[in-house]
Amino acid sequence: MPSPPKKELTVMLVDNEPARAAIVEQAMIDSGYRVIRRLENAKHLTEAVTEFQPDMVIIDIESPDRDMLENMSRLTKDNPRPIVMFAEEDDSRHVEAAIRAGVSAYVVDGVNSGSVKALLQVAIARFREFQALRSELESVKSQLEDRKLIDKAKGLIMKHQQCDEPAAYQALRKLAMDRSQRMTDVARNIISVMELMGGSK
Amino acid sequence: MSQMETNIIQNAVPVRIGFIPLIDCAPFVIAQEKGFFLDEGVNVELSKEASWASIRDKVTFNLLDGAHMLASMPIAASLGIGTIKTAMQTSFTVSHNGNGITIGNALYEQLQSLADSSTDIRTGVALKRLIDRRSPELAPLRFAVVYPYSSHNYQLRDWLSRAGIDSDKDVQIIVVPPVKMLDSLKLGGIDGYCVGEPWNSLAVEQGVGHMLVTGYEIWGSTPEKVFGVNSFWAEQNQATYLAIIRALEKACLWVDEANNQSELLSILSHPDYLNCTVEQLVYGFSAIKPKGQFDWPMKAYQRFSGRNINKPLPSYALWIMGQMYRWQQLGEVESLNRIAEQVYRQDLYNKALGFSEEGESRDWYLSAEEEATWLNSVATGKVCLHPDGILTGFDKSVK
Repeated sequence: MPSPPKKELTVMLVDNEPARAAIVEQAMIDSGYRVIRRLENAKHLTEAVTEFQPDMVIIDIESPDRDMLENMSRLTKDNPRPIVMFAEEDDSRHVEAAIRAGVSAYVVDGVNSGSVKALLQVAIARFREFQALRSELESVKSQLEDRKLIDKAKGLIMKHQQCDEPAAYQALRKLAMDRSQRMTDVARNIISVMELMGGSK
Repeated sequence: MSQMETNIIQNAVPVRIGFIPLIDCAPFVIAQEKGFFLDEGVNVELSKEASWASIRDKVTFNLLDGAHMLASMPIAASLGIGTIKTAMQTSFTVSHNGNGITIGNALYEQLQSLADSSTDIRTGVALKRLIDRRSPELAPLRFAVVYPYSSHNYQLRDWLSRAGIDSDKDVQIIVVPPVKMLDSLKLGGIDGYCVGEPWNSLAVEQGVGHMLVTGYEIWGSTPEKVFGVNSFWAEQNQATYLAIIRALEKACLWVDEANNQSELLSILSHPDYLNCTVEQLVYGFSAIKPKGQFDWPMKAYQRFSGRNINKPLPSYALWIMGQMYRWQQLGEVESLNRIAEQVYRQDLYNKALGFSEEGESRDWYLSAEEEATWLNSVATGKVCLHPDGILTGFDKSVK
């Protein structure tokens, strides 16, 4: 049996999704870890890492500020405790699970890898939970809505221009490109104009 | 292509290609929007990514099949530098050049008072004088690059070192994402940076900085971005891989065609891509930075097509490994030739575009003796790039 994780590991959490950050932080505290700093944006990220010296930084994989952390393992003069993204090959399974859940993690060289993995599991579980919740609420709903809008606009174009579906789609796409707008925005405009003209019945 | 064929391709499992919203992602965007991928029978899904680290990790773990990558990225991943070792490769160079070094107004003013001529500013001589005279109590001048394993980092350090400036001790070099460079410069968080266009031209245009020199002027013509893929994916999907290379080659030609520029800028500015105004992009595409607007004319020469521009150059992989060694990112490496050949795949480039392997020159190969001392020779400046750039090879006769 592996020994229970050492609990003195300190964590910095960087996530611009406040709701998720709160869930992850609570879960970590419940598991006995100390979250020394929670940042909702990465302003002064490297300064904060230098100041608080966490053992581990957990950051949303979609954060544009990850590249700033990538450099820290070289900043030996300013940061006496270099940070590395998991670089051991036997960690690859853990890292893969993390990446798929949208978590990326940087760890100070030389900390207990058992605790790191246990903590990573907590983060992964909460990120997944949040992801599932969000995709259910938002993504499916809005995708369906987008599709409905585009279909409706296509139908109107086909009727109005007496063309086939691919041609209507192309026209919509071209309009979106020419105007630098999203397809759904163009579709919405077309529908509202047609409705104004009484052509949508 | 019939509508039915198009439908079949569009219903196929898409190949997922990541990109970073920069000017040089243009060939990927154009291949998608102008239907070049579709013409080659490939269904591609482009995915806008927020960081180079994200691109690398997603390609490593197959969340993406390939991506718009920094030319040094497949080398770093294959060597396992800064990440889990994963075999990556490129068989297509997307662009040459496009970087520049820009400094903020405050630093520029200080340099002017220490310079005998504009050359002193462009070459870093004035900067060296300033550093020598600054009080050691002051925090070091701070420069930003976009990623540790990038041409930007290596070009900035090379430029500093030619002026006698130690890039580790005399200045501080940090990483800042391209979109945040201008603000950092404006707010004084950094004193200067090396970044791709349009972020140099924009600093000049908005009056927040002065562009000193281009990457082309430091290194000559060198690869900047590549189409990088997971080698495992490339092996399993060779036909698709080669088809994508053909589509990208067409797109590169299209991007370089002057008549297409207004359409190109309009597509690139779209929210799905760079999400900016067309005006912001125009500056970045000029081959020569005009005198008047800039302090002096500069050769930028960002290129997407032309003789051997798209060809993967193992010689460049050798050069990059030398840079990684020079700046302490890499220790000794055995068999440099083999790594260069495995990561920069000329054979697949030739196969995709129907070029014969017969006449393919192997003169980039290092002899056993050269290979043993290569990293050190690059690091100590015994080997330099030819002033015209990597296509002309190396200058091995220095000193």
